[in-house]
Amino acid sequence: MNAPERSEAFDERDPALPNPLPRPAGEFEALKKAWEAPRGLSFITAVNNTYVGLWYVGTAFLFFILAGILSLIMRVQLATPESDFVGHDLYNQLFTMHGTVMMFLFAVPAVEAASVYLLPNMQAARDLPFPRLSAYAFWAYFVGGLVFFCTIFFGLAPNGGWFMYPPLTGAKYSPADNADWWLLGIGFIEISAIAGAIEIIVGVMKTRAVGMSLDKMPVYSWAMLVFAAMIVIGFPAIILGTLLLEMERAFDWPFFIAERGGDPLLWQHLFWFFGHPEVYIIFLPATGMVSMIVPAMAQTPLVGYRLVVLALVATGFLSFGLWVHHMFATGLPKMSLSFFSAASTAVAVPSGIQVFAWIATIASGRMKLTTPSLFIIGFLFIFTLGGLTGVMVAMAPFDWQAHDSYFVVAHLHYVLIGGMVFPLFAAFYYWVPVASKYALSERVGRWVFGLMFVGVNVTFLPMHITGLIGMPRRVYTYPVGMGWDALNLVSTIGSFMIAAGVALFIVDFARRFRIARDENAGNVWNASTLEWLPNANYNTRSIPIVASRDPLWDQPKLSQDVQDGRYYLPGTATGGRETLVTSPFDARPQYILQVPGPGWQPLLAALFTAAFFLLLTVKMVLLSATCGVLAVFCVIWWLWETDPGPVRPPADIGGGIAVPVYATGSMNHSWWAMIVLMVVTGMVFTCLIFSYLFLWLVNPAAWPPQGTLLPEGFSPFVSCTLYVVGAALIAYASRTLRGEDRRSPRAVPVLIAAALLCVGGAAAMDLWAHWRTGLSPSAHAYGAAVYAIVSLQIFFVLTTLIMGLYTIARWLAGRLDSVRRTTFDNMMLFWFYTTGQGLVALAVVYGFPRLTGGV
Amino acid sequence: MSGRRTGQVLLMLAGLIAWAVQFTVIYGVTSTLCGREWADVTLLGVGIVHAVVALATLAALIVAALSFLGSWRIHGGLGETAAAPDRFISQAGILISGLSLVVILWQGIPAFILPACA
Amino acid sequence: MDLKTTRQGLPWRRTVTTRAAAFACALSLAGCSGVQSALDPAGGDALRIYWLTLIMTLGGTLIFLLVTGVLLYAIFAPPERRAWLGGRRTIVVGGLAFPIVVLSGLLPYGLIVMRDTDVPMPGALQVEVIGEQYWWRVKYPEEGGKSEFSTANELIVPVGSPVTVTVTSADVIHSFWIPNLGGKIDMIPGRINRLSFTAERPGIYRGVCAEFCGDQHARMAFDVVALERTAFEAWRAAQEKPAREPDLPFLSRGRALFRAAGCGSCHVVRGTEADGAFGPDLTHVGSRRTIGAGQFPNNIGTLAGWIANTQHIKPGVRMPSYGSFTGEELRSLAAYLESLK
Repeated sequence: MNAPERSEAFDERDPALPNPLPRPAGEFEALKKAWEAPRGLSFITAVNNTYVGLWYVGTAFLFFILAGILSLIMRVQLATPESDFVGHDLYNQLFTMHGTVMMFLFAVPAVEAASVYLLPNMQAARDLPFPRLSAYAFWAYFVGGLVFFCTIFFGLAPNGGWFMYPPLTGAKYSPADNADWWLLGIGFIEISAIAGAIEIIVGVMKTRAVGMSLDKMPVYSWAMLVFAAMIVIGFPAIILGTLLLEMERAFDWPFFIAERGGDPLLWQHLFWFFGHPEVYIIFLPATGMVSMIVPAMAQTPLVGYRLVVLALVATGFLSFGLWVHHMFATGLPKMSLSFFSAASTAVAVPSGIQVFAWIATIASGRMKLTTPSLFIIGFLFIFTLGGLTGVMVAMAPFDWQAHDSYFVVAHLHYVLIGGMVFPLFAAFYYWVPVASKYALSERVGRWVFGLMFVGVNVTFLPMHITGLIGMPRRVYTYPVGMGWDALNLVSTIGSFMIAAGVALFIVDFARRFRIARDENAGNVWNASTLEWLPNANYNTRSIPIVASRDPLWDQPKLSQDVQDGRYYLPGTATGGRETLVTSPFDARPQYILQVPGPGWQPLLAALFTAAFFLLLTVKMVLLSATCGVLAVFCVIWWLWETDPGPVRPPADIGGGIAVPVYATGSMNHSWWAMIVLMVVTGMVFTCLIFSYLFLWLVNPAAWPPQGTLLPEGFSPFVSCTLYVVGAALIAYASRTLRGEDRRSPRAVPVLIAAALLCVGGAAAMDLWAHWRTGLSPSAHAYGAAVYAIVSLQIFFVLTTLIMGLYTIARWLAGRLDSVRRTTFDNMMLFWFYTTGQGLVALAVVYGFPRLTGGV
Repeated sequence: MSGRRTGQVLLMLAGLIAWAVQFTVIYGVTSTLCGREWADVTLLGVGIVHAVVALATLAALIVAALSFLGSWRIHGGLGETAAAPDRFISQAGILISGLSLVVILWQGIPAFILPACA
Repeated sequence: MDLKTTRQGLPWRRTVTTRAAAFACALSLAGCSGVQSALDPAGGDALRIYWLTLIMTLGGTLIFLLVTGVLLYAIFAPPERRAWLGGRRTIVVGGLAFPIVVLSGLLPYGLIVMRDTDVPMPGALQVEVIGEQYWWRVKYPEEGGKSEFSTANELIVPVGSPVTVTVTSADVIHSFWIPNLGGKIDMIPGRINRLSFTAERPGIYRGVCAEFCGDQHARMAFDVVALERTAFEAWRAAQEKPAREPDLPFLSRGRALFRAAGCGSCHVVRGTEADGAFGPDLTHVGSRRTIGAGQFPNNIGTLAGWIANTQHIKPGVRMPSYGSFTGEELRSLAAYLESLK
C-alpha cells in the first residue's frame, strides 16, 4: 500500500479547519517580526533552534573531521611494524583523543544537535521549550570542546585512554595535567549533554502538533525520547566518576587506591555503567533517523511501528544491563559475568526487530536508490555484521580472547560507523534540503558512499583477524614477524579511502549548501512528515492538526493550509515568541508557552562556565572562582526574564479554543524539566551510594577502619529535624501562596529565609559532626566516601540557598505572586529533593556502619 | 500527567521494570554474598546464590506475565471509540511484557549451569 | 621444535584441531604465524574457546548472508515477488522469533563453555605473576620441598599438566594474555586473580599485556615455554640454584662492574650481595630467551645495547640508560649477565 493512493482524510478547503481565510492583515508580519533573528554581529546571541541547531551540527562535524585526522596519523604509524612516524607519547595521546573526541565531542553532540534542529520541525513546534538552554549547551560545548582539543598541540592532551582507568590516571602514575583536562573538560561537556537531554524530553512530551498523540509520534521522536531518558540515567554515573577521580587527584581522597581501601574496579563500574549505554545513546537516534528515511525512500509507511517503538524502549532498558561485559576479564565470579552475558545476548533481539522492520518496509514499497538509500543499505550491511560480532563478544569465554584485541576494535567500529556514521550521512543527504536552498549532489553522493563503504570494510574487516591472531589494542607499534604486517597495511589503505570519501563530501557540501531562511529546497523526496512543511525561523506559519503518522501523505492540502495560517495559532498572541504546549499523551492544546528570544545571557553564562572549568584545570584557582561566580550571575540574569506570568487573558488560537498564556503546576513545561533534573541528581546520588556500598564490600572488617570514631547519635538527629522543619516551612509557604487573586503574602519571604537557616544549619551540623571525630578524608576510602556524601549534600544545600535567595528576590521585585509562581514551585521541588537526599545521606552515613557493626 | 496515565505507562513498562529489578537483585546479591564469602548458606538444600537467582527470576516472570495478561485484557476491553493512545499503550504493553518474559527467562539460565562464586 | 608431531594424547582433538586450524588459516589471509594466536590453540581452554569462535563465526556468516540476501531481495526483486516480505510477519519471524531461537541455543552453549574454561585443577602447578610497568615478575613458590625462586618475563610450564597462575599488579592495571593457551585475566592492584590452563603440546608461545598500562604498553610481552616434564624439572632445578660464579677473568670484571655501577640496588642476583627487589631478578638472566620484556633475543650484543640505551630503546621504563660504560666494559658486563644461565 503506497501512500499516494490512500484516501484523503481532509478534503480541499475543509471548512472545519480552525481558522478562516482571509487572515487579518499584519498577523503574519507580527509573527515574522517576533521570530526575526538578531542582525549583524549580535547574530551569535540567536537562540532559535534553526540557528543553534545548525551551529551545533556543524561543530559536531568539525570534531568528527578532527578526530578522524588523529586516526589517520595512527593508521600511518601502524602501517608498518616498528615505525618511527610518531613516538609513544604522541600516539598514546592520539588514541585517547580519538576515542574521547569521537564519543564525547562528536557522536553524542551530533545526534543531540540534529534533534535540536529537527525535533521542533518534525513536531511542528515553533522552537524547543528552552531555547536559551540549548544555546547555553551549545556554547559551553563549543568553547570547552575546542579548548580541550587544542591540548593535543601542546602535548597536554590526556594519554590514559578514553576510559581513563585509574590507577594509571591517578596522581601517582599521571602527575601532569593531562588527565585533569579529560576529567574537567569532559565532565563539564557532559553537563551540556544533560541540559540537551532535559530539553529533548520536555520537547517531545510537551510541544507536539495538535493531535500528534503518542501513537502518531514520528519514530524519531520516540528514539530521541528514549535517547534523552538514557542520558538522564546513564550520564550521572560518569559525572560522579570524574568527580571522584578528580577529588582523588586534587585532594588525595583514595577512592581508587588499593593500599588505602579504594578499588580501581569502582571506576570501571561507574565508567561502564555510563559507557555501555553510551553506545546505544548514539545508536538509537541514528535508528530513529533511519526509520524516517526508509519510508520516504520506499514511499510507503513504516511497517511495524509498534514493534519499532518496542525495540527502542526495550533497548533503552536492556542497555543498562550490559556494562560488565567490558569487564569480563577483571576476574569477577563467572555467575556475575553470566548475567551480563545474558543481557548482552538479549539486547540483540530489539536490534533484529528494527533491521527487519526496515527490510519489510523496503519490501512493501519501491526503494529509490538515492544517496540516502545507499547510506541506509550500507548501514544495514555494516551494522548487521557489527551486531553479529557483538553477539560473539557477549559470550564471555570468547571475549576473554577477543577483549582488548583488534577484534574488538573491528567490532566497535562496525557498530559505531555502521550504526551511527552511515545513518548520519544518510541524514545529511536526506535533510539538507530542509535547511539549505539546494540539495546535495546525488552524483557526488554516490562516490562519497562508495569510498566510505569500501573504505570501512577494507579498514576494519581485516582487524577481526589481526585481533584473533594476537594483536592487542592501544599499542603504538608492534614487532616484525607476528603476521600482522600485511593486515595492518590493508587497514591503513582503507582508512585513507574513508578519508577521501569524507573529503569529497565536504567539497560537495561547500558547493551546494546555502542556508535557507525562507525558501528551502522543498520536499524533494516527497516525504510524509512535518519537517517538510514550508518553514522559516518561526517554523510553520500555523500549527497543524495531525491525523496520522504520515500527515503529508494523508492530508495532501496540509502544506497549503498550514502556510495560509488556517491551523492553530497562525500569529502571535502575546506579540513575542511563543509555541503551543500540548498534553503529553493525546497532544491536546494546553497553553501558549512564551519562548524567550535572543540574548547575551546564555552565551556569557556558557563562556564563564567553560572558563571556570578550564582555568581550574590549569590550577588558576582565583580566576576560575571569579568566572564561576560570573557564570552563576549570568544564569540568574537570564532566569530573571523568564517566568513572565499571565501577561494577557487566554488567547483564541482558532477553532474556538482559547488557551492561557501561562500555566503552573504539573502542566508547566519547567515543572517537567525540574522533575527530569531531579532524576539526574537522584542518579548522581544513587551512584555515590553505590560507590559507598561497593567500597564497603571490598573492605571486609574495615568499615569503618579500626580506630575510627563514629559521631554521637544526637548530631544526625538534629540535622534530620532541621531538614524536616525546613521542608515543612516551604510547604507552608506554598499554602499561603495560593489563590486566583494574585496575592503575594509577606509571610513567604520570611518563611523561605527561616527554612534556609534550617537547611543550612542541618548541613553544617553534619559536616561539623564528622570533622570533630577527626575523620580524615585521605587516610582511607571510608573517610573519602563519607566526606564525598557530605560534600555532595553541601553542594545541594548551597544550590538550594541560591535558589531560595533568588525566590525571595523575585518576591521583593514583585515578580512572584499566587498565580505567577513557577519560580516558587521549581524551588520547592528542588528543596524537597535536597531534603530527601539529605535524609537518605544521614541514614547511610550514620546508620550503615552501625547496622553492619564494622564487618 | 494524570494518575490514570501514570498507571498505564507503568503497566506498559512493567515487564522491563521487572527485568531491571530482577537484574539488580541477582547481580547485587551474588556480588555481595561472593564478595564476603557468605555464599555457603543453603536454602532448602539449594545454595543461597542459586536460590536467590531462581526466586528473583520466578518473581519477575510472574510480574511480566501479569502485565502481559493485564495489557491483553485492557486491550480486549477497548471499544471502537477508544482513544488511539490507549489502544497504542495497551498493545505496546503486550509486546513489551512478552519480550520481557523471554529476557527474564534468559537472565535466569546461568543458575542452572554455573557454580555460585567460582 | 616440531610442534605438530609432539602433540600428545587426545587423538580426536588432534584431527579436529588440525582441520579447524587449517580452515581458520584459509580464512585469514595472513596465515597463522602461531606464537601469539587464538586461532592456533595449544591447550584445552584455548581449544574450547576456539570451537566457540568457529561455530559463532560460521553461524554469524550464515546469518549475515541471510540478512543481506533478504535485504537485497527486498530492494531488487520485482514488487509482486517481494510483496510477501512487506508485512509485520517478516519482523515477527525474522527479527523476533529467529533471534530468540538462535540465541536460546547459543547462550547456554556459551555458558557451558564458560563453566568448563579456566577451571582450577587440584595439583596444578602454582605460579605467581605480578605485572609491573612494563615487565612481568614471575614467582614459582615453594612446592613439595622445592624452594621458591623468581624470574622475569618468561613462564616455563610442563606440558600436559594444569597450571594456575595467580596474578596481581604492583602499579597500574595490566592484563595477562597468552592467546594460544586461553583467555586473558586482568592484573589489578589490590586484587588477586587466577587463571588456569594446560599447555597440551610443547612449544614456545608468546604472551602480552592486553590492558593499556602507560608509555610502553606496546612493549610488554613475555615468552611461554611448554617443556616435557623432565625438561621442566631440570629447568626448575637449575633455577633454584644460586647464580653461577664467573669462571673467566673477563666475566669477573663484568661482575665487578655490575657491583660498582650499583645494579644490585635494583636487581637480585642470588648468591651475590645484589639484592635489590625493584627490577627483575637476574640470577639466571642468561637462561632466558629474550630481554626487555619479550623485545629482543637474549645475547651479549642485545644485553649491552639494552644497558647502554635503555631509555632510547624503551623510553619510559624505570631503568635509566647506563651510557657511561666504555665498549669493553659493556661487553664484559653483558658477558657476565649472559653467563648467568
